[in-house]
Amino acid sequence: MIGLSTVASTEGLIIGILCGLVPLLAGIYYRQWQAGIGGFIACVMSGFACGFLGGIPMILLTYAVLISKVYVNRQDPFTSLASLDEVNFEETQNELFMRRMANLGNTIRSGTSALIRNKAGFLGFLGIMFFVIVTVFGPLFIEYEGTARLDRRQPGARSLLAPPSYEHPLGLDWQGRDVLSHMVHGGQKLIVTSILAGLFATVIAVVVGSLAALLGGIVDQIFSAIANFILTVPTFRLLLVLATIVKFDSNLALALLFGVLNWPTLMRAIRAQVLSLRERDYVEVAFALDLGLWHVITREVLPNMISYIAVNFIFTIRVAMYSIVGLVFLGLVPLQEPDWGVMIFLGRQQGVLFNPTASGMLLSPIVAIALFQLSLVMFTRSLEEVFNPRLRSGL
Amino acid sequence: MATAVKPSVSAPDSPSLSLWQRIRDLWRNYTIRTLLQGLLTIFAVTTFTFFLVRQMPGDPVQIKIDQLMNTQNLTFEQARSIATGIFLYDPDATALEQYFTYMTQLLQGNLGQSIVSAGTPVSSQILRYLPWTLFSVGLALTVSFTLGILIGLAMGYWRGSWFDNLMTVFASTVSGIPDYIIALLFILILGVQFKLFNVGEFRGGVDHTITVAFSLEYIASLLKYAFFPVLIYVLSTIGTWILAMKSSTISTLGEDYITVAQARGLSETRILTAYIGRNAMLPLVTRLAISIGFVVGGSIIIEEIFQYPGLGRALLRAINGRDYTTMQGIFLVITSTVVFSNIFADLALGFLDPRVRLGKEGKNS
Repeated sequence: MIGLSTVASTEGLIIGILCGLVPLLAGIYYRQWQAGIGGFIACVMSGFACGFLGGIPMILLTYAVLISKVYVNRQDPFTSLASLDEVNFEETQNELFMRRMANLGNTIRSGTSALIRNKAGFLGFLGIMFFVIVTVFGPLFIEYEGTARLDRRQPGARSLLAPPSYEHPLGLDWQGRDVLSHMVHGGQKLIVTSILAGLFATVIAVVVGSLAALLGGIVDQIFSAIANFILTVPTFRLLLVLATIVKFDSNLALALLFGVLNWPTLMRAIRAQVLSLRERDYVEVAFALDLGLWHVITREVLPNMISYIAVNFIFTIRVAMYSIVGLVFLGLVPLQEPDWGVMIFLGRQQGVLFNPTASGMLLSPIVAIALFQLSLVMFTRSLEEVFNPRLRSGL
Repeated sequence: MATAVKPSVSAPDSPSLSLWQRIRDLWRNYTIRTLLQGLLTIFAVTTFTFFLVRQMPGDPVQIKIDQLMNTQNLTFEQARSIATGIFLYDPDATALEQYFTYMTQLLQGNLGQSIVSAGTPVSSQILRYLPWTLFSVGLALTVSFTLGILIGLAMGYWRGSWFDNLMTVFASTVSGIPDYIIALLFILILGVQFKLFNVGEFRGGVDHTITVAFSLEYIASLLKYAFFPVLIYVLSTIGTWILAMKSSTISTLGEDYITVAQARGLSETRILTAYIGRNAMLPLVTRLAISIGFVVGGSIIIEEIFQYPGLGRALLRAINGRDYTTMQGIFLVITSTVVFSNIFADLALGFLDPRVRLGKEGKNS
């Protein structure tokens, strides 16, 4: 997948610095030093990591945060010092834009403070960021070793495997290659594929679930029947069979297939939620006020489910990672190095499992996967706070 | 699926009930409807897997032909005639013909013969591997459910104590890590690095030098070989039971009848077991019944790591050997268990919880 798997580059750094100038200059203009410099750093980092794809959205986010700090709503009778007669309720395009940006910025700020407040959740967030940073920025510093390094054979040694040393902090694998380089280069594809898989499953579940609940009748019955069918089939076993039919050399195909197999649980929950929300008073009021289906969905129904959806999204990412590594572990997908799962597979195949001096090759991917999964679990605690306004206090 | 039932078209004054009305009455009965839906699902899954496994590249005959040509230096025709002779599989029959033959057999309760190991019925293969999975996963489920319930109950009751905090960390840690990762960590750290046990000793299902008998020695050997798979299953599932039981206990503690029981001066043990424990367990019983459905499947990867002779490894071997009938058989067994345990869970909750039972009757009458 071009664009989704990314490696930090010099062009990215330049793009990042250029993007960072926007919040920096705005910060100087509004005398908001802290927000300006913070925005600059955030833009440089995300531009460095993902180029324009990371830089431009980050401009929007940091600019919104900046605006929210300086913005005073002059139309709002509560903040305006002028008497009600003098307030002009007409809004220009520019004012509307500023108000929207300030709203967005406030949401981001309260979300961030909720994220930091939950200790376990924040730890999980840091864990996820650690792996993202290592897999994105690591390749800049550590070169990938793809071919066997026979020159590293120690005199008298039976194999090229070596325990951790100063030059190779995680040891050498069975072909004498640096394990650290495989760790740094081999994680991103797995993480991106898992996230994509989670994303596909969530999107399918949300769309199908709300359609089934809103349309009802035959559509509802067909989708529910399909969901029941998929829930009954043992998913991982089916994936094993499918892995021989579909050639999983593109991670997009694997993610898509995983999404198709894993939407029913979330879909049933969403269907039930939408059905019960449809009866709530505030939704009926919104319909009665003729606010339109789009408004009802985005403003009334979705905010009530977003916390649940987000937690489920994280859960699906975990299951996806479990299945993908499991498929590789059983040797049912084409092996593409570098990859954490392939490291485990080859390590087991080469008998590293029972070789106490060479555990680095197996332990590194295993510990990495375990830590990443744990970080995801802990991160869900924060997500609940971020998206649930009852748990989140205002600024 | 309810659309299958059309409104009755017969005249209302006909003396006997029309067929449609009879069907509709049957459909209204909750139990019968659930059972019928379950059977339909099993049928659909069977059909689906039947055609799916035939999409796999290379049929069993093809794989055998390749093998024979490579190892015994035969021509394609020679290899083909041998291979078709070995296997009970006609590569020239269309999938539809095979499907009808298979379904007729299935209706007579015959799962067919294994294609790869000719002469072995699929049912006997399943019966050979199923007990191992049932034993290991069943034991693990019992242990983890019982322990999880007790720990969760204690955590919920003495909420905020050091025990609660410690166990919350433990439960969310072990439930967060995939089971095979826990297994590999066990082997690598405890087995290989610290040499607390000999890893190679624990491979397989039972020590084959011991005669099969209901003796202490045989049972000890069974337990010894199942120890690690069971331990891994328990570790990877206990966290969910603990956390579910804890939250269920906490919500039960707020109920009025607990306050009443305390006001009546009942002993703490009695309140804990008869009032809190029983009611808090209720939602977990449904989940237990659903989990029983997954006992049959076992975990392919764990069985592969410990070389445990269960149904998961049998399926993996069938997939690699393209043994269509065995694959279908295993899928059928797994699906049926899942379907029936779901139905069982549904009915069990109705039986245990009078509120649900009355609600259902009210809705369907």
